[in-house]
Amino acid sequence: MRPCNSLKLEFLKNWIMGLQRWSFSKKEMGILERKKAIKLSADIAMASARNGTTRWSRALIANAYSKHDKHLVSKGASTEYSRRIRSKKILKRSCRRIRRRSKGLVRERTRILKNLIPGGELMNEGSLIEESLDYIVSLRAQVDVMRSLVSASEVDR
Amino acid sequence: MELNEGMAGTGSHKTASERDEVAALESLQFTDEIRRLMSAPATDNASSFTALLELPAPQAVQLIHSPESAKLIAAPAPSPNVDDFKGSFHFPFNSELIERATRFSVFTGDGNINDNNKTNSPEPTSYNSSASLQKPVKSEPTETESSQPLVSGPTVENRSIKRKDREKVKGSTKKSKTKAKESSDDADKLPYVHVRARRGQATDSHSLAERARREKINARMKLLQELVPGCSKISGTALVLDEIINHVQSLQRQVEFLSMRLAAVNPGIDFNLDSVFTADSGSLMDSNFSGIVMPTMWPEVQLNGNRQQYPQQLHFDALQQPAWGKEEVCNNYITPENSLLSYDSGNSASLQSNQLKMEL
Repeated sequence: MRPCNSLKLEFLKNWIMGLQRWSFSKKEMGILERKKAIKLSADIAMASARNGTTRWSRALIANAYSKHDKHLVSKGASTEYSRRIRSKKILKRSCRRIRRRSKGLVRERTRILKNLIPGGELMNEGSLIEESLDYIVSLRAQVDVMRSLVSASEVDR
Repeated sequence: MELNEGMAGTGSHKTASERDEVAALESLQFTDEIRRLMSAPATDNASSFTALLELPAPQAVQLIHSPESAKLIAAPAPSPNVDDFKGSFHFPFNSELIERATRFSVFTGDGNINDNNKTNSPEPTSYNSSASLQKPVKSEPTETESSQPLVSGPTVENRSIKRKDREKVKGSTKKSKTKAKESSDDADKLPYVHVRARRGQATDSHSLAERARREKINARMKLLQELVPGCSKISGTALVLDEIINHVQSLQRQVEFLSMRLAAVNPGIDFNLDSVFTADSGSLMDSNFSGIVMPTMWPEVQLNGNRQQYPQQLHFDALQQPAWGKEEVCNNYITPENSLLSYDSGNSASLQSNQLKMEL
């Protein structure tokens, strides 16, 4: 399934705006920092292209807001998500029985998938699959856009 | 007439309307059963589902539907679900259903079934029984829920509660519904999932709920299988999950790698901006290469982030015509307010002017 162009465009616009904000703040950056900045802004751009309709996007934005530089993400958008996620985490922690053994192959893999998808630990199995579906599509769009960027930037060399 | 309203209301969203019809048709069939059997409700003290299940099926159906229709009358209709299903779900709608579900356990001994039936039809609920009178029951494909893979999260839990209650109800009526062998299941669109028990399958509430859940998960897994390349041949959940995990991991690694490459490609992030604006076109693959040459002069001059918006703007003016001529979605550009990323006024001015020109 090829991601649609509108998604890619949306992502691109968000990304460029994010990068512009970065460039305003950081003048000198090492390559690793720059890569982190690019990746982070790309992830946030992809998540915001979803406009809060999916859980993984909200979780991603909330995580980015809490961990990294706060100026990239607008405050109003993420506090609500982070609040919701925090309450969910508290609920899960209180209800969870101590059962760390993951019996069965499916359980094990579900656990791995939960770790992969942002905010996946808080979802039940049905929505996890749904979210991973959307996440894969978004990731593909992201990869396509980045790849075309790279090819475009290297053409004139 | 309610018929026209119902049809007009459900015309916009076909799949939801199909489910509505099936649901409404089911309720109609139940009321027919009730009429046919017409035995007064034996017990009035059924305050729990277990008591309900002890009753013979028709009486149970009667009991269920008398309070249900009573509640349908009592609770005014929520906003039509058809429109809701398009995007986000309204919370007040769900809370009302929660109330309904809690009130389910209270059975009012309604002997007046006919009145309830009559008042049932003009009820402008989503289960528009009058609308379904004309249309035949279509077997619902379980994959139509895949047409809306994005579901807002918090409402799913509420709906699963509703689903379980409904399924307990429907499970007790298996005897009367043995002819209907198909089971319809969608937990995403309707707050109630009407699952008909298949012939020869267990009908207690837990297994029904479990089966509904399983079917939903299986439908999604099928979608995933189609999405991930090379997964359609594999059978078995574990291996498919394996493939999905590999795919997600490889995509994430690709993103990392590409971002590293982009970081290394030029000593300025600004470079991306210029080349992107010129290179980007409808398909994002056929870049306007001639246009790239000019703006690449710029980033070598300005290495730090304190870019002047002014020269950037000049370039966009010059290069916009060829590059954006093929733009297909001019109305898809995000205005600064829409995006979740907030940015300062300096940026917004230039970008807005850019967007204005892009809409040519």
